[in-house]
Amino acid sequence: MKHPRLAALASAACLAASGQTTAIDGSTHADWPHYGGSTYSWRYTALDQINVSNVKSLVPAWIFQTGDYAEGLQATPIVVDGVMYLITARFQVFALDASNGKVLWQYRYPPPRPGIPGGLSETQESRGLTVGFGLVFFGSSDNHVVALDQKTGHEVWNVAVDDPKQCGCGISAAPLLVKDKIVVGGNGGDQAHRGYLTAFYARTGRLAWRWYVIPAPGEKGNETWKGDSWRFGGGSPWMTGSFDPALNLVYWGTGNAASDFYDAARAPSADKSRDTNLYTASVVALDADTGKLRWHYQEVPDDQWDFDSSYEVILMDREVRGRMRQLLAHMNKSGLTFVLDRATGEFIGVFSTPEVRNWISGVTEDGKLVGRNEPKLGQVGNFCPSAAGAKSWNSMAYSPRTGLLYVPINEICYDLKPTDDAPQEGHGFMNSSMDFKLPPGRATYSHLDAWDPIAGKRVWSYPYKYILLASVLATAGDLVFTGNPEGEFLAFNARTGDKLWSYQTGAGHRGSAMSYSVGGRQFIATPTGWQMGLVGGLGPSLFPELQIRGGSTVVVFALPEGSK
Amino acid sequence: MSRPWLLVLLGALSGALSRAQNLEEVVKRGETIFASTCATGYCHGPKGSAGGAPRLSARGFDQNYIAGTLARGIPGTAMASFAATLSRADFTAVVAYLATLNGIANPSLAVSGSAPPAPALTLTPEAASGRALFSDAVRGFGRCSTCHEVNGIGISVATPISEIPASVGALRSLSTPQVSTAVANSESMPALVVGNTRRAVIFYDLTTVPPVLRTMDPAAVTIADGALWRHALVIASYNPAELAAILEYLRVTGK
Repeated sequence: MKHPRLAALASAACLAASGQTTAIDGSTHADWPHYGGSTYSWRYTALDQINVSNVKSLVPAWIFQTGDYAEGLQATPIVVDGVMYLITARFQVFALDASNGKVLWQYRYPPPRPGIPGGLSETQESRGLTVGFGLVFFGSSDNHVVALDQKTGHEVWNVAVDDPKQCGCGISAAPLLVKDKIVVGGNGGDQAHRGYLTAFYARTGRLAWRWYVIPAPGEKGNETWKGDSWRFGGGSPWMTGSFDPALNLVYWGTGNAASDFYDAARAPSADKSRDTNLYTASVVALDADTGKLRWHYQEVPDDQWDFDSSYEVILMDREVRGRMRQLLAHMNKSGLTFVLDRATGEFIGVFSTPEVRNWISGVTEDGKLVGRNEPKLGQVGNFCPSAAGAKSWNSMAYSPRTGLLYVPINEICYDLKPTDDAPQEGHGFMNSSMDFKLPPGRATYSHLDAWDPIAGKRVWSYPYKYILLASVLATAGDLVFTGNPEGEFLAFNARTGDKLWSYQTGAGHRGSAMSYSVGGRQFIATPTGWQMGLVGGLGPSLFPELQIRGGSTVVVFALPEGSK
Repeated sequence: MSRPWLLVLLGALSGALSRAQNLEEVVKRGETIFASTCATGYCHGPKGSAGGAPRLSARGFDQNYIAGTLARGIPGTAMASFAATLSRADFTAVVAYLATLNGIANPSLAVSGSAPPAPALTLTPEAASGRALFSDAVRGFGRCSTCHEVNGIGISVATPISEIPASVGALRSLSTPQVSTAVANSESMPALVVGNTRRAVIFYDLTTVPPVLRTMDPAAVTIADGALWRHALVIASYNPAELAAILEYLRVTGK
């Protein structure tokens, strides 16, 4: 940012213009209406009936088995007005009475059209749905976006976004409800594909806007691609973004450049300090009405490690050096977590979360990567962390009470041996296989951490032997919940990291816990059922002794009735 | 030792040698295909050592199991069927290679679950260009494949193309009597009706591309013949030479 003072003034003006006198509130209450709780993606409930003093009394209130066990249960349940909406990995949708788990309706998506073998369109991995305007929205592995009647589960509209036979891409992320639209990200950035976000009018399904991650010739940013490499340059924004209504900006993390591990055909310059292959591995802010790019911040210029930045974007207002700022916090797969001014994209700070790291030696105070250890054509190299992610796609949580981010971090490395194969549309375009390995000399390979995003300091850390691939939930009861592959659902003291409670749910955790209330009773719900493919598959392959169980069940906890 | 005996022996030896040599080549080929198709991404890892998908080496798999899984895939998982995507020779090679990873030193080359490869289309340069234009991703939703499926590519919103327009002019002025006008909530929209029963009216709303398949209560919508919608509007991203190439492609493929 060339004019930090101007930016600060603009930021203050925005706060004033939006009539905002207090910090934004991303907490949820009785409902959990969005994938990330609110559109600020905190995964934090203001409910505090369940708290540090009584969490030990939590008991299961009801359990719901979906019966659809392939690929586990990866979703975040949504609760609106006492009804829970749930989607399985293979696009079965349920509406349940959120007080007792009784099925109100059920919808089964027909078997998706096959795509290209080995492509992401072949993975049925729904991670959520969204609810609004009396409709329930989700995307499918064969790139359909579907709206169901919220009361009956009957299909209302259905639109095909792309052909999986051609793009090798699909949809696994929950759509994001943005005013009168839903915004949908797609996967496929490890294929020869050009990623995009698409917005549809919620009521009709008609196209509102499309934003390509990679600019076409003649558009600003296309010059950061060599030749016509932009056509198959990846960048797919495959998870769910955030929305700030006051700034009218949609925030999204974008995917890696393709080919993932070999850059000579796509990087036009050897200068790695400059933006390269825009707008991959970036956080972008788009106008909510038009989809036009307002600003971008590229976190990994010329990404050669598949460290895509497609993860959640957490919006928060915090004081920085004595001044209230409109911020966002965002982690990419490398575990680097950037704090930016969300009105302007100005860099505020960065911290690195994994304990084992050799892909860079460090980051400068203004956010530039130093000492890049790049994969080399035809040579085997070992890199840490791996493309499985210092954190996978499962979300962190943010508590405004503690001011801390709660982040599950994995310590996994991988061997790469890059090739220089040419792209073939829709087909795999990583240009190396990945040989995942555990770093030597450790007894634990993951940890749940609490980070102060402003100070860039780790406040506490809970080490765990295997990997952690479930999202985190934070509550106003100063609790932090997550689950592990062994099936335990865990509660920690949000301030100290002390483990307070656990419950064996019977299957590994790969989904996202959430909280809601019905009739004044607070519930904590967690999906269970391990993802057996993709990154979840690393559980059994890296830890053969770990007998990870699949499944597809929501387990809902509450304090015993009458114990309030 | 009589000569004929020696010849037989030599023949048998050379047969064994050539089979061994052939097997080595097939397994090598299988290894190459496996590395570029199965070991990639988050799948089975180098030499089947496991990645995001399970380990395939030293699992005690027999050849029939390997061939069956490769042919059918594992429904509900990322393991797709490769029956149609690998040629018969490549399929056999991958099965043989995986067999060697499972301790089968001398795999049979007769095991195959793959269909014979479809004859490759021979396209003129113009038709080949037409094929690329038909589903040109750079055009976003402005490409033919947004609404038409030809040779397995594209979305089948429209019914299969039965008559190929004789010229670019005919394509542009294509009559589309199947497009009606739907009126719902006092809004009228061009509609391609695909279902009309007492329970529901199902139609593609053609107001914008991509078309939206909408399901409405029959009481909430009326359908009238005719529409202002014109095919020329949705193919506006193509110039006449490009449209001519696409027509040539459709003619060659008989669609």
